[in-house]
Amino acid sequence: MNQISAILEAKRNILKHQILSIRKESKLKVAVITFSAIAIWLGIFLGLYEGFNWLLTFGSRAGIEVNFGELLMARMFMILMSAVFLFLIFSNILIAFFTLYKAEEIFFLVQTPIPFQRLFLVRFVECIAFSSWSVAFLGVPLILAYGLSLKAPIFFYIASIIFFIPFIIIPASWGNIITQFLVLIFPKIKLRTMILFGILAVIFLFWYLTTMLKGTRINEDTILPVFLSATSRVQSPIFPPYWFSEGVLKSKDSQFSEVLFWFMLLMSNALFFTFLGSVISKWIFYPGFSGLQGSGQRRIKLPNKGILGRLDTLLSFIPYPYKPLVIKDVRMFWRDATQWSQFIIFFGIMAIYIANLRNTTKYFEQEMWRSFVACMNIASLSLILATLTSRFIFPLISLEGHRFWIIGLAPITLRQILWQKFWLSVMTSAPFTVTLAILSGYMLQLAPLYYSMTIFSIILMNFGLSGLAVGLGALYPSFEEDNPARIVSGLGGTLNLLLSIFYITVVVTAQTIILQWRVLEQFTRPGYFWFALAFVIILILTLTGIAVAVPMFLGLKNLQSLEY
Amino acid sequence: MIKTENLTKKFGEKIAVNKLNIEVPRGTFFCFLGPNGAGKTTTIKMLTGLMRPTEGRSFIAGIDIQQDPVKAKKYIGFVPDHPFLYDKLTGREFLKFIAGLYQISEKEFKERTEELVGLFGLSSVVDQLIEDYSHGMRQKLSFTACFLHKPEIVIVDEPWVGLDPKNIRFVKDYLKQKTRKEGLTVFMSTHTLSIAEEIADVIGIIHQGKLCAFGSVDDIKSLSNTPGNLEDVFLELTKETDEV
Repeated sequence: MNQISAILEAKRNILKHQILSIRKESKLKVAVITFSAIAIWLGIFLGLYEGFNWLLTFGSRAGIEVNFGELLMARMFMILMSAVFLFLIFSNILIAFFTLYKAEEIFFLVQTPIPFQRLFLVRFVECIAFSSWSVAFLGVPLILAYGLSLKAPIFFYIASIIFFIPFIIIPASWGNIITQFLVLIFPKIKLRTMILFGILAVIFLFWYLTTMLKGTRINEDTILPVFLSATSRVQSPIFPPYWFSEGVLKSKDSQFSEVLFWFMLLMSNALFFTFLGSVISKWIFYPGFSGLQGSGQRRIKLPNKGILGRLDTLLSFIPYPYKPLVIKDVRMFWRDATQWSQFIIFFGIMAIYIANLRNTTKYFEQEMWRSFVACMNIASLSLILATLTSRFIFPLISLEGHRFWIIGLAPITLRQILWQKFWLSVMTSAPFTVTLAILSGYMLQLAPLYYSMTIFSIILMNFGLSGLAVGLGALYPSFEEDNPARIVSGLGGTLNLLLSIFYITVVVTAQTIILQWRVLEQFTRPGYFWFALAFVIILILTLTGIAVAVPMFLGLKNLQSLEY
Repeated sequence: MIKTENLTKKFGEKIAVNKLNIEVPRGTFFCFLGPNGAGKTTTIKMLTGLMRPTEGRSFIAGIDIQQDPVKAKKYIGFVPDHPFLYDKLTGREFLKFIAGLYQISEKEFKERTEELVGLFGLSSVVDQLIEDYSHGMRQKLSFTACFLHKPEIVIVDEPWVGLDPKNIRFVKDYLKQKTRKEGLTVFMSTHTLSIAEEIADVIGIIHQGKLCAFGSVDDIKSLSNTPGNLEDVFLELTKETDEV
């Protein structure tokens, strides 16, 4: 057996055992996740299908041969593929860094007699699998909806599958090549500095886009030419998304020779860049890998200055036994640059967006739109919060893992530990979310009632989402795992994210409906509104109470039943 | 079989290993001693091709591991202190994976697996997932994997972690017997001085990146001002260290 097949066979076996181990998981958990995944998939498909059909109806006008709807669909397809391509390059850069340089497995593999090119190739396959499964999951409903709404032949679907392979290989190879060069050049720069640069770059890019896209208002007559002119810039025949889109779209009309040409172009580039990545790895993988290993040893001392050094004094108001636990969690969070960088990126982008509302408020002359946008802002804020509680709060209990004996031996109850995590989550996230919600309401010049309602729901959602994350984290801990990302990607983490989304959907929908109905004067008597408002407030309070109490109770019960 | 020439590793200003010159002949049981942070693991990383030296060279069976890593690594079997194993593989699947990496034929894999699995007492668990193994079993599987391709050099980093006295005795005897009868070269880093004193042919003591003693157990003992055991000599030679 050759080395590549040995590694791939081991990976196949690991996958097989992982799938089989789902049998050991809670049936309810598996059922909820399966149901939710199917529901999301169907939701995307139906949304796209209806949207495409609407566009086709909208674009077909009597006497005009060209259906503008179809033209728009094709253009949107290209824009989407360009965005997916960029996303794949970026995600591959990150994934390649972990699969090629940081995974525990790589230290084992490097000391075996496997040439670096082969090592690169097997890790490359893994990298493709990691980065592309979500694209495949979301891409299938897109292709199906597109094909069905245009009544495309079967060849369209076959071509889409075949084109997908080289289309994901190219960004993966680019990402892997970029990572290898970055690691070779940057190991001497501290990770925290690199992440800060990254954050600044992302914020700058976002600011640039919001500034560039701030266009004039367009009416129905001018929307089409303006849109087509603006989007023509994303089509460049020298980039792979164009080849992919052209090939797949031509397959709809069964233009076989055109399809073959674009496929060959795409495939030859995929093979070339894979080969290039492999050749490069022969020369630069090992120097980068070796250099990266030494980078940790250069940091001999951590200065005990600044806020971190003064936490003891700054947090002196927190009573025993919570204070030492809070200080430990804050220090560990701050010293893991990958954690807080995501926190800053999410809230930074949201802050820029909300601050930018000032420029757009003039377009929302009607109260209805201002209230609607405010509700959507609350939905975005709470979804970001759910991502962060799932990412950072859910793994907190699991991360105690092998160290559980330290706090287990201390004179602290498990109940106190659990509530400490809960309050830590609420107290760290609430200042950001509530401030942004206040800012959003101010920018939109909301009426006091709408203003207070949005603030009320975001405050409560801080409690609800923290309760879900801490409680479910205790109910489904994985103490053997040290990597937060892996803890989160488990079934428990997925369940937490799905339940959080469900909770947000109910709260935001109830709030939006009640406020929109009032603005649109749907209530036949004013008294009905106050009655409905009281009902919504009680509903949000009850739901939040359940989101906190039930997971916290079950999580505590589970922790108390475990043996450490 | 193992030779280093002015092997040096610097991390910025810090010199982790400073001009290390060691030669371990074939069939020698070499114990590498030193306090925490002395440079033992960095040396092992350079010997196994996990890290590039800043200066100097290291040779495995006469091959410069930086020049021809694939060829040199074929001679090495490595057991780290906390071995990486794939939790979601069974013991047998893991060994098959190792056989693939070292390009061992199917026939030889089967023969060697039966022999080693029996020898290390893993027969009853070899078809279970590794995630269900105790720490000791993991360590034994790691040794089994190490010997699967019949290495001529075995590099071991603190192997006693998690092993019970019976298994410590077994591993010790097995390595010793291999060096005596089959000419295996063992490079072992350890803190267990009593074991080093008992089984080592040659001992090297590294302190603050520099080799401060090298020779047979008796040679090392004679370095002390007052006669004593290896522990006394070790503490005397490394007494400047700040670390425990």
